[in-house]
Amino acid sequence: MGDFGGLIRNENMKIYLRVRTYVMFGILIGLTIIISALWLAFGERSSTSMWEVAFMESSILFFLVTIFTVVVAAGAVAEEFTSGTIKLLLIRPWSRSKILLSKYIAVMLFAVTLAIVLFGSTLLVNWVMFGIGNDSANAGGGILPMGSDDSPFVYLLKYYGLTLITSIVTVTLSFMLSTIFRSSGLAIGMALFLLLVVNNFMQLLALLDYKWVDYILFIHLNLTQYLGDFSMREGMTLGFSLAVLAVYYIIFIALTWYVFNKRDVAA
Amino acid sequence: MMETIVQMRGVTKRIGTRTIIDNLTLDLPRGEVFGFLGPNGAGKTTTIRMMVGLMSLTSGEILIDGKSIEKEFEGAIKHVGAIVENPEMYKYLTGYQNLVHYARMMPGVTEHRVREVVALVGLEARIHDKVKTYSLGMRQRLGVAQAMLHRPKLLILDEPTNGLDPAGIRELRDYLRKLAKDEGIAVFVSSHLLSEMELMCDRVAIIQNGRLIDVRSLQDGEQALSARRVLFQVDRPAEAVQALQTAGQSAELAEKAQEADSGFVIIYGDRDGIATANAALVQAGIRVYGIREDVKSLEDQFLEVTGGEKIG
Repeated sequence: MGDFGGLIRNENMKIYLRVRTYVMFGILIGLTIIISALWLAFGERSSTSMWEVAFMESSILFFLVTIFTVVVAAGAVAEEFTSGTIKLLLIRPWSRSKILLSKYIAVMLFAVTLAIVLFGSTLLVNWVMFGIGNDSANAGGGILPMGSDDSPFVYLLKYYGLTLITSIVTVTLSFMLSTIFRSSGLAIGMALFLLLVVNNFMQLLALLDYKWVDYILFIHLNLTQYLGDFSMREGMTLGFSLAVLAVYYIIFIALTWYVFNKRDVAA
Repeated sequence: MMETIVQMRGVTKRIGTRTIIDNLTLDLPRGEVFGFLGPNGAGKTTTIRMMVGLMSLTSGEILIDGKSIEKEFEGAIKHVGAIVENPEMYKYLTGYQNLVHYARMMPGVTEHRVREVVALVGLEARIHDKVKTYSLGMRQRLGVAQAMLHRPKLLILDEPTNGLDPAGIRELRDYLRKLAKDEGIAVFVSSHLLSEMELMCDRVAIIQNGRLIDVRSLQDGEQALSARRVLFQVDRPAEAVQALQTAGQSAELAEKAQEADSGFVIIYGDRDGIATANAALVQAGIRVYGIREDVKSLEDQFLEVTGGEKIG
């Protein structure tokens, strides 16, 4: 009955026909250019590799990718409730689960798109400004941890992949809060609070020598620690972190779908 | 006998200990404009929300085209087009994009059909403008358009005349009547505009405090030409009553304010009765200033039935 692709197209339309989405893309690309230009103005071009700048920018700006996606995810369900459009959306021959799924997929596609835009723009901008040829001056582009034999490009790809995974968990959390509380402000606020405040607090908690600390979500929201030799807690591996994240992810998804299916819509 | 499109059986909604809808049983036939009338807080919108599956039922069931809205949601809802409360649209999209959005969610709605519906509600000139620039009346039209897209068998409109100008109201009224009569669609309209319901609906259900109080046919009243209540405005009401009684016609003084130089006399009769009464009055030398039928408006009936009770 009907075409599920149409539902995803609808959700995409509601994301990409809004001005704020272009402001987000603009900020991301604009900041990349500004940081590189500043580096070029105050640093020395000959001793700088494009990889070094690209990596530095990625590690800062990926944070924005997460924040922007959190904003879109928080709005996806909550704004339908606040604007009242949810009533017209849910009286179509589609189950609530499928409508929610189309929204979730659109949000995930948005996260990936932002990440690709950031990846592309950092590489392109810095290639233009610093030139790819400077690599020879500094093997590995100056970003590789000790003992790694990846090329800078592959290393950067891995970095993006791991960061995207944690980003998706955070976004799913915000999607859940948005569905449960039907308030995008609350969902954005809580997700960012957890991201900024709790994450820093966790650095301290990680020092504690209790077993239960290993199972706290926030300990695992920095997967890139496994790219180097350093890990936040003794004995933790990438596999273990991924497993813990998967459990949280499943709980978030289950709760979101349960609440959305169950609840009376009385806006 | 007309076919039934909606069957509500013992529909009850309880939230906490409060009973919002209490054991509502109602059938809606095809081809009729059915009014749903009640004071604020009577449970009209709650009932509509349950009919379209936005709210769960505490007990009872609602069948649309024989399918349970709770157990076979997708099968039941595909016959329904609705506006629930206000026609809220995506304000940052154009009217056309809004329609395309809903068209994609329903099987068999072509681009041609979208344009057809736009023409139907008379929005061609502004359909490519953003909805945030629309007036309430235009949003209402867009709301009707999205409800009509998939040619539903049941059209549910919550306060559809809200924000429409008199011409728009008349247009909508004619259109809904035509839909019901020609295409056999059941139209379910809730409204607080009693006079509007009177012109639009074949029947009205009156609901109060979540309970169905009465279902009455509005068109019957018009057809019952016999024994209409007619008011005569005359210069000497007391003498007029006597003159009429002498002529063999039952008449009484109206309760309503008798003015110094004129007053009202009530008779019950058909067309001929009115003419005879008038002749009798003129013969008796009584001056007749006016003759009019005293139709009890829906408002009077409504207040009579609900006792003009306050909310809660």
